[in-house]
Amino acid sequence: MADAVRTQGLYKRFGPQVAVGGVDLVVPKGSFAGLVGPNGAGKTTTLSMVTGLLRPDGGRIEIDGHDVWADPVKVKANIGVLPEGLRLFERLSGRELLMYSGQLRGIPLDEIGRRADELLKVMDLVEAQDKLVVDYSTGMRKKIGLAAALLHNPRVLFLDEPFEGVDPVSANTLTEVLRRYTASGSTVVFSSHVMDLVERLCDWVSVMNGGLVVAQGPLDDVRRGRSLNEAFLDLVGVRGNGEDGLSWLGSPA
Amino acid sequence: MAGVAGMTWLFVRLKLSMIRGGLRGDAGRQAGFVFSLAAALLAAAAGFALLSLIRLAPSGVALDLVTAAFAMFAVGWVVVPLMAFGLDETLDPARLALFPLTTRQLAAGMLAASAAGPWPLASLAALCGGVVALAHGVGGVLLGVPAVILQFAFCLTASRLVTTVLSGALRSRRGRDLLAVAAIFAVLLVQVPNLLLNGRLSGDPTRILAAAGEVMRWTPPGLAAHAIADGGLIGVAELIVVAMSVVVLAWLWIAALRYALVRPDSSNQGGGSVRRSRTSRFLLGGPLGAVVAKELKYARREPRARVNWITAVFVSAVVMFSIRGSGGTGWTWAVVGPACLAALVIGLQSANSFGIDGRSLWMNAVAFSTPRDLRTDLAGRHLAMAVVAVPLIALASLAAALVAGDAVWALAAAPTAWGVLGVAMGVGAITSVTAPYTFPERMNAFSGAAPGQGGQAFGAAFVTMVAVSVLALPVVLPVLLGLTWWALLAVPYGAAAAWAGRRVAAGIGFARLPELLAAVSRPT
Repeated sequence: MADAVRTQGLYKRFGPQVAVGGVDLVVPKGSFAGLVGPNGAGKTTTLSMVTGLLRPDGGRIEIDGHDVWADPVKVKANIGVLPEGLRLFERLSGRELLMYSGQLRGIPLDEIGRRADELLKVMDLVEAQDKLVVDYSTGMRKKIGLAAALLHNPRVLFLDEPFEGVDPVSANTLTEVLRRYTASGSTVVFSSHVMDLVERLCDWVSVMNGGLVVAQGPLDDVRRGRSLNEAFLDLVGVRGNGEDGLSWLGSPA
Repeated sequence: MAGVAGMTWLFVRLKLSMIRGGLRGDAGRQAGFVFSLAAALLAAAAGFALLSLIRLAPSGVALDLVTAAFAMFAVGWVVVPLMAFGLDETLDPARLALFPLTTRQLAAGMLAASAAGPWPLASLAALCGGVVALAHGVGGVLLGVPAVILQFAFCLTASRLVTTVLSGALRSRRGRDLLAVAAIFAVLLVQVPNLLLNGRLSGDPTRILAAAGEVMRWTPPGLAAHAIADGGLIGVAELIVVAMSVVVLAWLWIAALRYALVRPDSSNQGGGSVRRSRTSRFLLGGPLGAVVAKELKYARREPRARVNWITAVFVSAVVMFSIRGSGGTGWTWAVVGPACLAALVIGLQSANSFGIDGRSLWMNAVAFSTPRDLRTDLAGRHLAMAVVAVPLIALASLAAALVAGDAVWALAAAPTAWGVLGVAMGVGAITSVTAPYTFPERMNAFSGAAPGQGGQAFGAAFVTMVAVSVLALPVVLPVLLGLTWWALLAVPYGAAAAWAGRRVAAGIGFARLPELLAAVSRPT
């Protein structure tokens, strides 16, 4: 059985800066995978290339055994994407956005309507469904974006920082939806800074640093008895523990 | 006092370093910066020279002209920062609300910061031309210098007052939407006197000028201009009035600033709901229908799209009126010509089809897996444009025909113009994928593209225009020369051109989808 995601030597540079320097990312089918790393590690660039939104300078990407750039027909129908920056069609209402997204993928109208109703209900967006997306809060945008990414029931879902700015209640809803989704054999790949969340949700972790994957595997193999946070700090190299300088900070004795 | 002076200097340095920031970044931005600097220098020299030249006019006319110029400066100072709001971060007092600054420090600092920079200095230099134009004798020069400085201060405080009062509204989505459309109306209204003069609808321009001078005589810019011309005690009294008006404006501005700093931010308050569309049930359910429905909604809801349509309609109207004036070369030129130009102007909107989608275009990109999908997308955009443009062009043709004398002439003009629209959409589809550029998030009157893409935007529009004109000649020229039945061929010809354009564009566009995406999602 092919892995859900497999990249080989994925490479991208912007001018003189190498953003992604030969990434071999592997995500087995049916896993709930976390992609973690400090700011600037290349997580977003990697996800953009894997989802076909950014052209890589080198390397191969396969999703379910199909090359993303050579065989987009097989790939694009089977992936769902929530990219960074919450860029959505601002002047559509939440509901119209879902209808548009579904129609673009050729799903019959009444089927889209049914799925949209259910997704809006689960995401707690029923009241806001006829408001323009431009007036949505950050959390609402994440939720409507996730709903749009799920609408066509993709086999692999890529989410860039899906929980950033989402309130705890909505985050709980999101994780429940995603758990059910992976339990059925579909795959989720999401990037995050929040180690506790990754530790709680994921069964597979890829750690990126400086444009490379520095560790990857089942959660327990990566953390090896430590908390994921400790393992992560070890892997990326702790950059000062805050003991130096700042002697003036704090209340005077 | 040292606090105020120090803080003022800090604000000025902040503004200067923001201007210098334009020098960093890629070559395009640097070129833009140098160009803007050169333009400011040129504007300063030209403004000074033009105002100075007014001296050659008879003294009454000269006074009216300078009064009008001073008033226009004041209006410009109020309107321009509103349209460019968001480009200059020192303008928004809310960004400074958290710093421990007194209102006095803030007021002095922001005033000084808005006087710093190439454009404010250019307008000060231009205003000095007023002294050359009007001053007679030592008194005139002695009063002229403070008069120009006061006029400049009047412009600054008036502009600050208006931006501060509106800053709350400008930060809310609805306020900005409204302003974007209002701004384009302001720009277009400036053209109206021009049109009236062209159309010879009113009499003698000097009479209009005199009437305008009469009205503006007692406004602060008028008083300042008059003080320079007077050069005596009356002038001094007038300057005192101008100074008092500056003080009142400054006081009002400080009050507004104080109020703005403690008022809750309204930018996160949501707008109302939209009605579920009833038209969508008449559209096809598939991707084509989805794109058409989305494009039609965007034409209504997105201020940039609305501005584009309003501009296109307005420019068409201007063309129609101007051509009528020149007349005398047969009815085909007077009716078919304007109708085709209207179609060209409307069709040019499709030369950057993906610009308005901008950063949200990824939603299409992740769904498109063959060139055919992109072709459907383009077809949807063309169809949506046709839904609005075809009746509009028919109306324009009818109007041109009625103005020229016989409504029947529209029967030849409308199909020809529809053909031109088709050609414009076909060519536009190809430019949309070969030279796409980002529309700025905030509409402003100075640039239709993201920093560094201005030249490309202009080039793309120009090349499209030339290509459309050449490709449309086979159908337009025979009609213009009197072969009116040829108009029947125009519609199929236009449809074929649009189809061919989409076909070619889809092939090119799909191959460079990531580059297309990057080009329309540049930060603005």
